[in-house]
Amino acid sequence: MAAKPGSAPVTYSPNLGQKTRPPIFKDNDLDWVRPDGRGFHQCRPAFFRTGAVNSASGSAYAELGSTKVIVSVFGPRESKKAMMYSDTGRLNCNVSYTTFATPVRGQGSDHKEFSSMLLKALEGAIMLETFPKTTVDVFALVLESGGSDLPVVISCASLALADAGIMMYDLVAAVSVSCLGKNLVIDPVLEEESYQDGSLMLTCMPSRYEVTQLTFTGEWSTPDINEAMQLCLDACSKLGKVMRTCLKEAASASQE
Amino acid sequence: MCFFPLFRSKENRLTMGLPNASGDLSTEVEVDAFRRLFPLRFYEKHLLESIRPDARPLGRARETTIALALAKIGSTTMLAAIKMEVMTPSLETPDEGCIAIDFHMPPICSPIVRPGRPAEGAPVVAKQLSDTILSSGMINLKELSLVSGKAAWMAYLDIYCLDADGALFDTALLSAVAAFSHLEIPVVSLNDDGKIVLSEEQGLSDREPVNKEKRKINLSSVPFSLTCVLHKNYILADPTAEEESIMDTIVTVVLDSSSQLVSLHKPGGTVLAYTSAIQDCIALTRQRVKELQKILEEGISGMEVD
Amino acid sequence: MEVDREDGRSQNQLRPLACSRNILHRAHGSASWSQGDTKVLAAVYGPKAGTKKNENPEKACIEVIWKPKTGQIGKPEKEYEMILKRTLESICILTVNPNTTTSIIVQVVNDDGALLPSAINAACMALVDAGIPMKHLAVAICCCVAKSGYVILDPTKLEEQKMKAFAYLVFPNSVRSVLPEGSLRVEGEPIENGIITSVTHGIMSVDDYFYCLERGRAASVKLSDFLRRNLQQQSTDSSKAG
Repeated sequence: MAAKPGSAPVTYSPNLGQKTRPPIFKDNDLDWVRPDGRGFHQCRPAFFRTGAVNSASGSAYAELGSTKVIVSVFGPRESKKAMMYSDTGRLNCNVSYTTFATPVRGQGSDHKEFSSMLLKALEGAIMLETFPKTTVDVFALVLESGGSDLPVVISCASLALADAGIMMYDLVAAVSVSCLGKNLVIDPVLEEESYQDGSLMLTCMPSRYEVTQLTFTGEWSTPDINEAMQLCLDACSKLGKVMRTCLKEAASASQE
Repeated sequence: MCFFPLFRSKENRLTMGLPNASGDLSTEVEVDAFRRLFPLRFYEKHLLESIRPDARPLGRARETTIALALAKIGSTTMLAAIKMEVMTPSLETPDEGCIAIDFHMPPICSPIVRPGRPAEGAPVVAKQLSDTILSSGMINLKELSLVSGKAAWMAYLDIYCLDADGALFDTALLSAVAAFSHLEIPVVSLNDDGKIVLSEEQGLSDREPVNKEKRKINLSSVPFSLTCVLHKNYILADPTAEEESIMDTIVTVVLDSSSQLVSLHKPGGTVLAYTSAIQDCIALTRQRVKELQKILEEGISGMEVD
Repeated sequence: MEVDREDGRSQNQLRPLACSRNILHRAHGSASWSQGDTKVLAAVYGPKAGTKKNENPEKACIEVIWKPKTGQIGKPEKEYEMILKRTLESICILTVNPNTTTSIIVQVVNDDGALLPSAINAACMALVDAGIPMKHLAVAICCCVAKSGYVILDPTKLEEQKMKAFAYLVFPNSVRSVLPEGSLRVEGEPIENGIITSVTHGIMSVDDYFYCLERGRAASVKLSDFLRRNLQQQSTDSSKAG
C-alpha cells in the first residue's frame, strides 16, 4: 500500500476535532431539529435502481441521503465449498465497506455481523427449494456510510435478488428506529446513531405483512417498542412501494 | 456525490447474427451455444469480417464516461477516492508529501471474486497503477508539503472496481486521474499542539493557514493508457473480459500528454509482438489519448457548471 | 559515445554470466543463474496432478512462487510472479501434459539489479533441466535509459536507481533449424525479434524504447549463445558420467 516500500508513516486526519455538540434531549428539548432537518418520523428520500453491475446476475444500487450501497447477486451457481447434497438452495451473504465509506479511513470493516444479519433477513423471503444443490451469492459494498447502513443494504439486496430473477415470496424492506432520550427517530443518520440510547431494526415483507427479522439494542420500554415497531411497519410498506415502482420501471424500460 | 451516471450508458449487448460465413446458424440460441462452445472460432469468424461481437471495429474503444471520480469504459466501472491525511515527512525528503495507491476488487464486481480471498489480479494492477502514477510525474510531491520537515500530506488513493469487464487498468487509471483533477485540499493551520487541523472547524480562522495557495494539485503530463489484445495479426483495442480470456496476449501502452512513453507492458502471452505490432499499439494509444483528454476535460467542465 | 560505468564496463557489455543446472536433488529440475552479483535459484516441481484450483482439462498449469531474499512477499513480488508465470506459459508447450501443475520456485539469493530478467533466465534453465516440453527458450535482458538518452545494458542496482527509465525485455532464443531460412520468419522478421514480455518503468520517448529493443535484441543473441553452450556442455558432461 505504501508508495515507498519499507516506510509506513503514521498519519492522522486533520479533522480530528469531533464537533462537540451540546448534550441533546433534555426532557423539554422537543424543538430539537435533526441534522438534516427532517421530522422525527420522516424517512430520507429513497433512490433505488436495478442493473448497476453488468457482470452480475442481478444487482441494485440504493441511495438514501448519504448512505450509498451496491449489491450484486451471483447465481444460482455451483456451491464453492464442497458440502453435502441439499434439497434446498443455499444463500451466501457478504457485506463490505470501502476504505472511504466512513469519516475515518478504513474503519468500516468492523461490521462482521452484518453479513450474517443480511443472510437471516433475506433467508425467510427466498424460495430456496427452487434452486436445489446450488448457491446464490449476495455481495454488498457500502460506498458511503451515512447511517442506517444495514437496513439499506437489506432492502437493496432484495431488489438485486429480484433483478437476478431469484424466486421470492415478497420483497424485503428494512427500516431502523433510534431511541434518543424520550424521542424515537426513524431512519437515523450516522450522527444520530452515534448518540442513540437504543436502536431497533425491523425487516419485513410488506405485501404479506410478515416480519423476517427484528433486532433491538440498548434500553427500551415496552410502549416505546410498540410504537417503534408500528413506525417501522408503516415505513416498510411505503419503502416497499418505492422498491416495487423501481422494479416496474426497469421492466418496462427493458421491454421498449 | 451522486452516482447517477452509473446507469447512463447501460451497455446494449448486441446479439448480432454472425456474418455470412456461418449462415447455417439461424437462431440466436444456436449462436449463443456456438459462442460458448467454440469461443475462439466464434471470434475468428468475426475478425475475418473486421468486426467484434459487440459491433465495434477492431481498433475502437468502448463508450467512455467520467463523472467526478467515477470512470466507465463499456461496462467496466471504477470509483476512486482520495483521502488526505497528515504525516511527518521522511528525513531524506523533508519537502515532499506521499501518495499511497491501492486497488480493490470487492466481490460485487465479478463472479470470479469471492469474499475473504483477494482477487488474483488486484495486487498486480495496484502495483502497475502505483508505478505509472508515481513515475509519470503527474503530481509533484513537493506540492503536497505543508511545513517543511514537520508536516506533509499523505494522499490515500483508493480505487474500487464496481464492475469488471476487461481493461481494468485503463479504467482504474482514468478514474485516478479524474479523482486527482477534482481534488480540493482543505485549508489547514497549525494548532498549539503542533498538529495540523482544519482551519474552520477549530476556530482558528484568524490564524494564518499553512496552505493558502495550495488548494488544487497541478497535474502536469497526465498519463492515459490503452490495452490491446493481440491475436494472430489482429489487434483489438480495449478488450472486454471475454476477449481477454479467449485471446491471452495483452499489451498495455501508457503515454502521457506529451506523447512520452510511461509504460509498455506485455506480460507473456502466446503471440510474439514484433516491431510493427508494437508500433500499431502505440499509434492506437496516441489516438486514444486524444479521445480521453477530451472526455476528461468535458467531465471536469461539466461538473463546474453544476 | 563513451559512457563511464562504475565497474568499467562498456555500454553494451553484460556482467559475467554463470549458470549451473541440477544443483538440487529433491526438485525435478533446478538451476542457479548469476549475472555479476545478482544471483537467483530456481527449482521446478512437476508436472504433478493438478490441484483443484488450477485444474484445466485442456492445458497444463504453471505456478510460480517467488521467495524474496528477506521478508514477506508484497505487491512487487506478486507482479513478478504474474509476469514470470505468463512468460513461462508462453514458451512451454502446455497441451502435452493437460490437467497437471508445474510449480516453479524462484529464490532470490542476491539482488544487484536486473532481478526479474535473471529470474526469468534461471526459471527457463530449470525448466530445461526438468525436461518440461518447450517451444523455445526465453532470453531476458534489462536495458536502462539515462537522462542524456544513452542506453546501457544489464545495470547494477546502483545504475538502475540512477537512470530515468528501464525496460525488461524477453525474447525467444535464436533458433537453429534444418528448415529453410524463410520458414522461421514472421512478416519478414526472424522469430527471435518478437517480444515475449516487455515491462518498463519510468518515462522515455517512444524512440528510446525502440532503441532499447534494438540493443536488447543484439544482446539477447549473445545470451542465447551462452545458454546454448551451457546446455550442450552440461549434457555432454552427464553423458560421459553416465
